[in-house]
Amino acid sequence: MTIAIAPAVVVERSVPMAGAVELVISQPPSAVAVAPGQFFQLAVSAPHTILRRPYSAAWSDPAAGRIGFIFNVVGVGSAWLAALGEGEELDLLGPLGRGFDLVGHRPAICIAGGLGIAVFPGVVRALIARGRSVMVLDGARTAAQLLPASRFAGADVQVATDDGSAGHHGSVVDLLANLLSDLKQFPFAFTGEGQSAGLDILTCGPTPMLTALIDAARRQEIPLSDIQVALETPMGCGIGTCLGCAAPQAGGGSFLACQDGPCVRADRIAWDLMTDGFHG
Amino acid sequence: MAERLDLRVDLGRGLHLLSPVMVASGTFGYGFDAPQVDRSALGAIVSKGTTVRAREGNAPIRIAETPSGMLNAIGLQNPGVDYVARVYAPRWATWDLPVIVNVAGDSVDEYVAVARRLDGIAGVAGLELNISCPNVESGLQFGVDPVLAAEVTHAVRAVTKLPLIVKLTPNVTDIVTVARAVEDAGADAISAINTYVGMAIDVRRRRPIISRGSGGLSGPAIKPLALHAVWQVAAEVRIPVIGVGGIMTAGDALEFLLAGAAAVQLGTVNYVRPQAAAEIRDGIAAYLMEHGLTDLRTLAIRPMSALIHV
Repeated sequence: MTIAIAPAVVVERSVPMAGAVELVISQPPSAVAVAPGQFFQLAVSAPHTILRRPYSAAWSDPAAGRIGFIFNVVGVGSAWLAALGEGEELDLLGPLGRGFDLVGHRPAICIAGGLGIAVFPGVVRALIARGRSVMVLDGARTAAQLLPASRFAGADVQVATDDGSAGHHGSVVDLLANLLSDLKQFPFAFTGEGQSAGLDILTCGPTPMLTALIDAARRQEIPLSDIQVALETPMGCGIGTCLGCAAPQAGGGSFLACQDGPCVRADRIAWDLMTDGFHG
Repeated sequence: MAERLDLRVDLGRGLHLLSPVMVASGTFGYGFDAPQVDRSALGAIVSKGTTVRAREGNAPIRIAETPSGMLNAIGLQNPGVDYVARVYAPRWATWDLPVIVNVAGDSVDEYVAVARRLDGIAGVAGLELNISCPNVESGLQFGVDPVLAAEVTHAVRAVTKLPLIVKLTPNVTDIVTVARAVEDAGADAISAINTYVGMAIDVRRRRPIISRGSGGLSGPAIKPLALHAVWQVAAEVRIPVIGVGGIMTAGDALEFLLAGAAAVQLGTVNYVRPQAAAEIRDGIAAYLMEHGLTDLRTLAIRPMSALIHV
């Protein structure tokens, strides 16, 4: 894997949903190399900040040499990034880590909470390109915070909102559980090849949502190895040297989110030791 | 022109560096993970702290950004000295670049066992005794007490022919006392400094951000403190001092060299700008040329007592 340290240029800035910013940057060599789910370390120059900020690529377009990042403002670093305008330079390191394993023919469910949806545009596009049936379940506090379904062309998009302003009134995990509890009512799982071979679940979201998902999967007897999680955790270097992004490993010890992840199978994680310092 | 410049450093006992820019322990792993770093700019790599047996390190969360700095409490996660000697050292032996193994332990016996295991191993160019890790139970025990610091230095000195650097903690009342003690006990050089103990609290969740509570503070936030420690120590010992603490630029590195350091180590900056080592090495070279100097020996503001380049 080649890791580029390269200046990129912001070519487009937009607000894809309430409270979020999408930056499209031009960096042709990196764009070609991005696997869905991989991340970049973005340098920020906000006063008194030091570390780069790890962000998953929302999508990449190798032909156009473009990479998209979708994020919200949570601190001075993301505020600095969000204030970048078109034409401004951005120093990025990447792509880094392991993306999602997209191999296979089974239907795939991409389930996201909050900004966790940011990793999925590129993932869904790649799954569709592989001919797989894809359902996107997107959960947010309110309708305005949902990424528009048009970003997931070819997928069946269902949504959940805490305030009931769109889709299922409640959590996105409950929405999934409802769907799974009556698979006969769930035509999606019975389309295409591998009808009875189960599902692949790809997820990203806050820790409480992830642990709720894991609980639901256990109740439904879905093997945790069928679930892939895009982990988000504080990172130092992003390349495996600082050992700062250790995540609790099933069976003991830890693994590095930056090198062994950020996308890992859920059976690799010691869920009882996951703190809310982690996000998917 | 550049050919006339001599950036070599002699850290004693045959440890010669081609550049005064080293990478600090814990910020560069064992040298295999950062392909984008220009190794030719480096004088040496100092490995992750290595113990007798493998250690898993501390539970997450292990790092936090603080104003102009970062806290870490990794907890000496490492594969153990035997693995290092068997797997990593043979690969280092094929490099032109010296690799110095940072040695940690909970007792004098553990430090001695690690040093013994590494003595005579091809690929290991030297040892850096870590008597200053703030992130494990007894990490600071040796570094804050001049008598214990001397004891562990002396014991390791007795079992190794390798160049021996001792890395000091700033978490003491008088760092000079500890520096003198390890010099007298047989250290060939001193690294100053390791991180300062600090902490950060998550106000929303009402608990320390770092799972261990405290962590070691590094980065530009500690640079003036580190610089003063080096200034103090370099005046009082005759062995070379390696300056460490918050160096981000060539200007920062030059401050340490002017303060009396023979070489510098880069830490936190490795996470931010992997190309920093080359920039800093080139910046030091440019400064020498600009000031009509041909080597680092005459750079210090005060005459160095250290007998480098004998």
